[in-house]
Amino acid sequence: MTMLPTYPSEDCPRAWEMMPWVLQHSATAEQNDWLSRHLAHCPACRTEFAQQSRLKQAMSLPADISLDAEAGLQRLLGRLDTPAPRQEPQRARATGWLTRALAAAVLIQAIGIGALGLKVWTADENPAYRTLSQEPAAPATTGAIRVVPDAGMTLADWNALLHSLQLQVVSGPNGVGAYTLAPRDNKTAAQTDTVQQLRTAHGIRLAEPVTGTP
Amino acid sequence: MNNAEPQADATDRALLQRMAAGDRMALATLYRSYHGRLCRFLSRLTRRPDVIEEVINDCFWIAWQKAGDFRGDSRVSTWIMGIAYRCGLKALRQHGDEPVEDRHIPEERTPATDPEEDRELRDWLGKGLERLSADQRVVVELVYGEGHSLDDVATIMQCPVGTVKARLFHARVKLRNVLPALAEGAHAFKEQAP
Repeated sequence: MTMLPTYPSEDCPRAWEMMPWVLQHSATAEQNDWLSRHLAHCPACRTEFAQQSRLKQAMSLPADISLDAEAGLQRLLGRLDTPAPRQEPQRARATGWLTRALAAAVLIQAIGIGALGLKVWTADENPAYRTLSQEPAAPATTGAIRVVPDAGMTLADWNALLHSLQLQVVSGPNGVGAYTLAPRDNKTAAQTDTVQQLRTAHGIRLAEPVTGTP
Repeated sequence: MNNAEPQADATDRALLQRMAAGDRMALATLYRSYHGRLCRFLSRLTRRPDVIEEVINDCFWIAWQKAGDFRGDSRVSTWIMGIAYRCGLKALRQHGDEPVEDRHIPEERTPATDPEEDRELRDWLGKGLERLSADQRVVVELVYGEGHSLDDVATIMQCPVGTVKARLFHARVKLRNVLPALAEGAHAFKEQAP
């Protein structure tokens, strides 16, 4: 804890503040005169000023650690000719940091890819989507009916029949001329009736419901 | 500031301009003219000669690189002291401020021999400075040793003038309390806790 001074007179704080600048000759002539007058009748400030003078004298002595300026200068000039030696460690540290950051990024990516792969591998094999190139699971179409029309059936009759029974062609014709039909609204309740109607329709040679498993 | 300082500053500015143009002779001249005062200034921060030399060379390495950037807002001496102060703080962070044992000081770096009077004065000063913080020692050196103003010291240490005033005040109070009195009436200033 610093012990603060108390001053014998009101002018002493001003004298205290002024002393360093008077001692280093940066005070104005007016300040110099004022301090001289104060010191003439203030023993405490005289003592302080004497100690401050001695402090300045001591601080003005040359350094007590002696260094060879010429040797230091030669080392500096040598350093100018090799401009990078002190920068090298910093660059090395920066490069090392960059390498570690990249390695960490690669590691995180590898972990992420691994986790994603594991998730895909364990996911449902029947996804909720189907790509355009994917073979449709045709037999699984509910209410599907395989139909073989007569060779003489006109396209207009064929279309009129499908329209009247609310059917659509989902595949075919296959190698024997059979088409697979399915209800337009996916209703399966009337499949048997539909098959019967197809069998009785003019120009239909065969109508059989498609079962999921043979 | 005494009358010689403006002229010295003009000389320093001319040297800096030559350094900015790549003149190594100007660098050598400035280095020699500042070496002594930088050595003493930095000895207030650390007692290690190897660190002091390293800091001086770091300081002039920067001065060489930045000579063209000197805007002239302050005296050259203030600018150089500011660089040295920052280099000194950086070196202390890297090396620590523990003094090297005397037996570790190389032969060519042993303390210079002094006349008896100077040695007494150094001992007297040493007893006081060892009670100050590093920042207080630096302020005392810049004001009493180098003759810088409060504004200069604030620029060098990159802190408000009020901070410099406070450091100087507390340093002076500590020194007055520690250093042996010179004359009668030494205890005329009574002390009280703040």
